[in-house]
Amino acid sequence: MTRPLIVAALILAAPGAALAQQPAADGAKKAADVRMCIGCHGIPGYHTAFPEVYHVPKIAGQQPGYIVSALKQYKSGARWHPSMRGIAASLSDEDMAALAAYYGEPAK
Amino acid sequence: MSAFRLAVVIICLGMTQAPALASGNAEAGKAKATQVCGACHGPDGNKPSAPDQPVLAGQYYDYLVRALSDYKSGKRKNAIMNPMASQLSAQDIQDVATWFSSQSATSLHNQR
Repeated sequence: MTRPLIVAALILAAPGAALAQQPAADGAKKAADVRMCIGCHGIPGYHTAFPEVYHVPKIAGQQPGYIVSALKQYKSGARWHPSMRGIAASLSDEDMAALAAYYGEPAK
Repeated sequence: MSAFRLAVVIICLGMTQAPALASGNAEAGKAKATQVCGACHGPDGNKPSAPDQPVLAGQYYDYLVRALSDYKSGKRKNAIMNPMASQLSAQDIQDVATWFSSQSATSLHNQR
């Protein structure tokens, strides 16, 4: 009984993985992997939980240059937020450029 | 009280610390923003003068208050923003955050 449930759970989880393969914005060399971003930035009105509570900033439609700059500062430790530090530390310059291009796209 | 209920209470108390709704004066914020912020971000916060400067128009009020307060205290570091924010009082910060967050002409959106 457990095995079919696990299989069903995996099947249900599959579209989540597919979501990450969004096409990158024009000019970006690498497809943006937004799996780590959407949990907080993809939910309008979502709040941080730690260490202070406030709205997670809107990043869609933000200037790509600012997004890259913010990610680099989180990675270097110049800007501090526990979850953003952990996420930015795992990103290469190429990843950051792809994410910035993806989120910098204007509204349709 | 179960640990879960205690956790819920603590989280709810935490949420009351930072008001999510704009509590400043938008008109006072407009005047201050035009004077202090406009040259780089645009008077309405939607015309950054350089690619690495953020759009502020339509950003969340409490995030803007957090960012400006951290620039003022030096917790967040930026050669331009630290001296800018140090000129602002706590009331000024609430006012300009109220002004920028209430601007609807912005490139920020929630489609991603």
